[in-house]
Amino acid sequence: MAAGRDPSGEGKAGSSGGRSGGSRGAEPDYRFTLANERTFLAWIRTALALIAGAVAVLHLVPLDWHSGVKLAVGFALTGLAVVITVYAPLRWLHVQKAMRRDQPLPMSALPVLTAVGVALVCAVVLFGNYWS
Amino acid sequence: MSAPSEGGSGTGPRPPRPPRPEREPRSAGLQAERTLLAWQRTVIVVIVVAMLYLRDPLEPGGAQHGGDPLYRLFPVLGVLAALGVLIVHLRRRWRATEHGLHDDRTGRPPAPVARPWALVLVSASSCLLAIAVAVGGLVA
Repeated sequence: MAAGRDPSGEGKAGSSGGRSGGSRGAEPDYRFTLANERTFLAWIRTALALIAGAVAVLHLVPLDWHSGVKLAVGFALTGLAVVITVYAPLRWLHVQKAMRRDQPLPMSALPVLTAVGVALVCAVVLFGNYWS
Repeated sequence: MSAPSEGGSGTGPRPPRPPRPEREPRSAGLQAERTLLAWQRTVIVVIVVAMLYLRDPLEPGGAQHGGDPLYRLFPVLGVLAALGVLIVHLRRRWRATEHGLHDDRTGRPPAPVARPWALVLVSASSCLLAIAVAVGGLVA
């Protein structure tokens, strides 16, 4: 358990067809696989929250903003959401492969990117409120 | 006075099931159940966002959309169809693995709870929703 391996039958799991993501290495502890899946789902929910913001700005709420500001906010949010939804399964796969091979987990720039993007969107929203 | 076993020898009580090897009585920390709940949260959020997108603007006079919601209906229907497939898959797999305790293929709790194609499906439908929102904002 300390090494992150499944305590029950790791060779058996390796030969059966129940593998997910990658083909080499030993099956990691199922708890780690499930945590990886939950992380994936949390990224998807993050993307969906951004999409909800874009729906509100572009479609739902009647804002008297400059239309360029409105489109900029909406496209920034949807673009960020698209990047996250493309990235999340790839990240899941990379983490799964790294756990299989007992390698350190890969770093990624996406949390920083998301934070900066959301901060920029906040700034533009402020800007759009006071300059119409 | 033995149990009416179908097709057995009938002499002794039939062994109920071969004991599963190294099976824990319960998943430690209910990891599989937590993951299923995360799936449910995600599915609910997708439905909420799709419904928000389908909704008419809050004040039709203030928005510049003419308001034909038909072009918005198609991506939402696609997303909802994908979600239906996803819900059925999650439910069947959850039942097949004895509520997240035992996957017959590996003998452990199911990991991941959904198959990898389901992960791709949910991210693809979220991506479709995002693109539909962006295109709708451009068109309107």
